[in-house]
Amino acid sequence: MSDDGQMNEPFRLQARAIRKSFGGVEVLHGVDLEATGGSVLALLGENGAGKSTLVRILAGDHAPDSGEIVIAGESHSALDPISARALGVRMIFQELSDAPALTVAENISLGRWPGRRGVVRWKAVRERAQRALDELGVQLDPDRPVADLRIGERQAVEIARAISDRARCLILDEPTAALSAQEVERLFSAVRRLRERGTAIIYITHRLDEVVEIADRVEVLRDGNVVLEREVAGTSRADLVTAMVGREVGEVSRPEPAATDAQAQPLLAFEGAASDGAFADVDLAVRPGEVLALYGKLGSGTAEVAETAFGLRHLTAGVCRLRGDAHAPGAPHAAIAAGVGLVPADRQREGAFMVRSVAENISVPSWPRLSRRGLLRRSSEARAYRRWHGELSIRSRNDPDQLISTLSGGNQQKVVLGRWLERESDVLVLIEPTRGVDVGARMEIYREIRKLARNGMGVLVATSDYEEVVQLADRAAVMARGRVVGELGGDEITTERLTELAGG
Amino acid sequence: MNVSDPVMTTEPAAPPPGTTAAVPTARRRQVPETAALVVVLIALGVFFSITSEFFLNYDNFVNILTAAAVTGIIAAPATMLLIAGQFDLSVGSAAAFCGAVIASLALHNDIYFSVFIAVLAGIGIGMLNGFFVTVIGINALITTLGTLAVFRGLTQVITDGQTLGIERFGWATERPLFDIPVPVFIFAGIALAFWFLSRYTVFGRSMYAIGANPVAARLNGIRSKRIIFVGFVLSGLCVAIGGLILASQLGAASPQAATGMELSVVTAVILGGASLAGGRGAITGTMLGLLIIGTLNNGLVLLNVSSFWQTVAQGALLIFAVSFDQLRIRLTSK
Repeated sequence: MSDDGQMNEPFRLQARAIRKSFGGVEVLHGVDLEATGGSVLALLGENGAGKSTLVRILAGDHAPDSGEIVIAGESHSALDPISARALGVRMIFQELSDAPALTVAENISLGRWPGRRGVVRWKAVRERAQRALDELGVQLDPDRPVADLRIGERQAVEIARAISDRARCLILDEPTAALSAQEVERLFSAVRRLRERGTAIIYITHRLDEVVEIADRVEVLRDGNVVLEREVAGTSRADLVTAMVGREVGEVSRPEPAATDAQAQPLLAFEGAASDGAFADVDLAVRPGEVLALYGKLGSGTAEVAETAFGLRHLTAGVCRLRGDAHAPGAPHAAIAAGVGLVPADRQREGAFMVRSVAENISVPSWPRLSRRGLLRRSSEARAYRRWHGELSIRSRNDPDQLISTLSGGNQQKVVLGRWLERESDVLVLIEPTRGVDVGARMEIYREIRKLARNGMGVLVATSDYEEVVQLADRAAVMARGRVVGELGGDEITTERLTELAGG
Repeated sequence: MNVSDPVMTTEPAAPPPGTTAAVPTARRRQVPETAALVVVLIALGVFFSITSEFFLNYDNFVNILTAAAVTGIIAAPATMLLIAGQFDLSVGSAAAFCGAVIASLALHNDIYFSVFIAVLAGIGIGMLNGFFVTVIGINALITTLGTLAVFRGLTQVITDGQTLGIERFGWATERPLFDIPVPVFIFAGIALAFWFLSRYTVFGRSMYAIGANPVAARLNGIRSKRIIFVGFVLSGLCVAIGGLILASQLGAASPQAATGMELSVVTAVILGGASLAGGRGAITGTMLGLLIIGTLNNGLVLLNVSSFWQTVAQGALLIFAVSFDQLRIRLTSK
């Protein structure tokens, strides 16, 4: 961009000794951070480590209690969103803040319409959009409505909007959480281009492979303190994990093999199953006591296969069998009655009832059993919660009336999982069970899922996270473009084999 | 391969910081919300007791309850609907329609038969609303805005724009016990029934779940459409009862009966703490909201404030209640 041509010294953003409390609880205890133009800083930490608070302070959403923010040599005790933007600090949130009904070009100029006396010059709007997209190396028609775009493209539009607004420091908050593998590649190439033109990038993530791939430096936060800050080169994954979790955690490793009977009748099976436009020729069998992972990149059809078992999608060819009998539930309530449970991918939007209590959240699908003639006692719900509270080591006050929204993401997910234990389902289908869950809680959820299988449940996990497959599955089926392209068992399940089969 | 080890080491970890920090918010639920309404109600009572010599006596309290009875009968199912994220704006014109039905039938038919048909008419309107909302999938606000107009119009067609008198239909003005008129007892019974329904039945609890998260409700096996349909039918039934009471109190069916009832109902429900975002609310709150509105109206009359100003007060109260709800949503979502 022409505006940046005159800059000789690299842009520098420093946060010094930042402290911040919420409601009397200090969440940042004097944190430093430095982002330099032409370099990518990965900001790593578990949920609740303080990374969001820190970057929100940089973006002007929060004012720090003490400390200073130095941008391009100028010190500020606090920023507001407008001044942060004027200083070139822009944040791309996980939840996109675009206007879906408007076009790509309109979104890029949103709120900064080029024109005179309130009359918009549409030609300039399009030119500006094209310039920003070219700079990112993204090919998009500026006249397409944003609603028609895929999530990765919409994210690119937001980044284009930021750079066309002269962003010199771009903060990306877990940008790959919802992206497919190709979209991640495109995002990374855009990030690299931005780095080359001298933008400082702060990249928030908890995926270690991304740190290695994209970042130059890494800073790890834990419990509101910086526990590690160094060059990525020469830093091992084990160092990062230890820093994040605060204790020694082994590398990605395989679980204890399940004692499943290969001859046992499958609990859930697909035979030549197809659903229009989503998948075809799928043959799978989940036996009692095992965890079968269905691995594939987003859009490969894994989630869609899982959905058919729960009545959310219907087969157009082949059959799905439950305990040997044809299983074609018309809707979730029928699938639940047949003994199938589902843990959906998006906990906030599909899994939890955020404004309701933990007891209610854990007992909803069991209401028919817990009630008598349509009457439901709160005490039976509370009993259900207390039972699984201990069993699943849910970290909460052990108060059945506590709102689920006050639990951490991992513990909310345990409640959602506990639902199907209370329901006594014997087939559990999980879609991306640990998306947005931090490392420590992820391990616990894997352990719980393994435990369910050991008790005789059949578990089908549709996931796009290969580390998850390695750590969780007894067997893995790999899907690509709607077809099963390979099956792996036992020690064959390695990250290398999985990515290779899924089409690298 | 040493497998179980990495998994086991994570077990005795300390609670993540997020849990402890967030805990205090859980405590301030419901209790203070209802308490705030009681405080407002008492404050209003004290204020009007001081400013008007007519306020503080038994007969006046019975007046307040009688004036609130029909709104309350209709607000009970409306609370459940709003908890599930649904509205019924057609209540006022549907009540008038039921009144018109009985008045026109009673001219040539047995009164019990006429009552029966009027109640069926109310239930039918509920089914119609429920059908468009759940089967066709039209937003409830729009559906019931449409039926509001349709049934107000049909009422005028049936009555030919005139007030139709009904002979020997004064049951609602009788005072069987403690000098309290019949509608207050019906109101109490319906409020109690819906209180029980919403708290202790799978049906009522499903309403909360649907309102809290419609997608999750479906994924947990709740048959949302069926439940919402029944919710609208219950609304229609209560509307019919309300319409019959109004016709009896007036001894006639007026084409203008219950005009603006939807405003009073929605105000009471939201003032009572039911959230526009769904999933929260309670019958007890609605009843307190109703008493606040009733006391306010009654007090303003006693103070000789013109009824035009009462309409202003009611609209302002609705906006105040919704603003309060918005603030609460903003605070709890942080």
